[in-house]
Amino acid sequence: MALLATRTAKLIPPKRVKVLVRRYDPEKGESWWQEYEIETYRGMTVLDALLKIKEEIDHTLSLRYSCRMAVCGSCGMVINGTPRLACQTQVAEVASEANPVVRVEPMYNFKVIRDLMTDFTEFFEKHRRVKPYLIRRDVEEQENPEYEYKLLPEEYEDFYQYSLCISCGLCVAACPVFASDTRFLGPQALAQAYRFIIDPRDEGWRERLEIVDSEDGVFGCHLAASCSAVCPKEVDPGAAIQRLRSLLLRYRLGLWRKSVSGPVGPMEKKAERMPLPPEAETLPGVSLEELEESKVEIPVEKLISG
Amino acid sequence: MARERYTRLLDLRPRWRAFINPWLLRLPNNPERLAFILHRTTGVIASLFLFFHIISTSTPARAGWEAWREEVLNLQGLTPISLLFYIAMGAILFHGINGVRLILAEALALGIGKPEKPKPPYIAPLLRGFQRRLLYATFALWIILWALLGYIMFFT
Repeated sequence: MALLATRTAKLIPPKRVKVLVRRYDPEKGESWWQEYEIETYRGMTVLDALLKIKEEIDHTLSLRYSCRMAVCGSCGMVINGTPRLACQTQVAEVASEANPVVRVEPMYNFKVIRDLMTDFTEFFEKHRRVKPYLIRRDVEEQENPEYEYKLLPEEYEDFYQYSLCISCGLCVAACPVFASDTRFLGPQALAQAYRFIIDPRDEGWRERLEIVDSEDGVFGCHLAASCSAVCPKEVDPGAAIQRLRSLLLRYRLGLWRKSVSGPVGPMEKKAERMPLPPEAETLPGVSLEELEESKVEIPVEKLISG
Repeated sequence: MARERYTRLLDLRPRWRAFINPWLLRLPNNPERLAFILHRTTGVIASLFLFFHIISTSTPARAGWEAWREEVLNLQGLTPISLLFYIAMGAILFHGINGVRLILAEALALGIGKPEKPKPPYIAPLLRGFQRRLLYATFALWIILWALLGYIMFFT
């Protein structure tokens, strides 16, 4: 309980916090730090604090947000030096009674449109470049599928983690390689490339491997692992990139070849095609047809009297 | 007009500062970034060392063995040259040891954990994998070997 008590005590924010916001006015081309002071309440997130400032103090403060529960990935910003989602970060986590300051900046490695809003054009362009969708040779079959594509649970687990990406851009904001190389695809795009390359339903893996096989692709990464450290959904882009690079090297050496699964029919039809295993065969002297035809008699009298 | 306003974007990209400044971002649970910065820095130092090393080892051909002997004498005891040599050796040691970890993790994808369904406390498998223990071993080995080299160079 003592442990719980300290943990609860930590999550009580200071009564008043100073919010320092790095602002930018695109019309004047000026950037400056602005200071606001607000009252907090228990459970207040940084997004709540910024919205309170916008409502009560300064209506001109611009920021992007939508779901307020770490699902849409719109409110990524650098809070007290760490790239975080503003809706997922409580004021109590970043400010204390001793240091009641919350410093909010737009994400690094992105261009700033206004105040805390960043331009995602380049980010989505790079995401689009790795073709983040299932590609099948038989487009007609893909558009009008008759059956489902085969996907085993263990195959699904291989890429499930990477499919949780919400494209918030925090990994890119933390990446030291992206900071200097504008052509680098970035952790988000590369993780998504890996997610589709190992998907057994996908047939476009050769195209994707050609796209990521470059200095600006998978070989640009140098394992600083900052992307995995800041990811709010535990997508682990760093590990995805290492796996992708290893897979690419094995592919180039002829040691890796993907087995693509196709559509499979319903399980009932599969049972007709396949013979029964020996342990499922009936006992000698017992006819299945007779058993099915015979009526089941329940000895109700015996049950009641017993 | 609206389009013109929109295109005036502020660029906050830290550029090369991301390679040398470990305090650029406060990243919890990420010593890999420190190793990344050290790997880059030590790589530059090692390249510079290689350059000067080639020049200095060509001394006998350029100025004779006497000049070579004088140069080698500079490395004895605590001199500016021997200090620079010591720093360069430390850089090469770290670059080499960390390079082994990087080859394992980057080329062979070893020690980076297995993909899993996210569960509390939400720490990515890469940050819990064997490469993290290798990283701590790298730092430990580097400090020990460098200190040992310092002892041999300056105290024996």
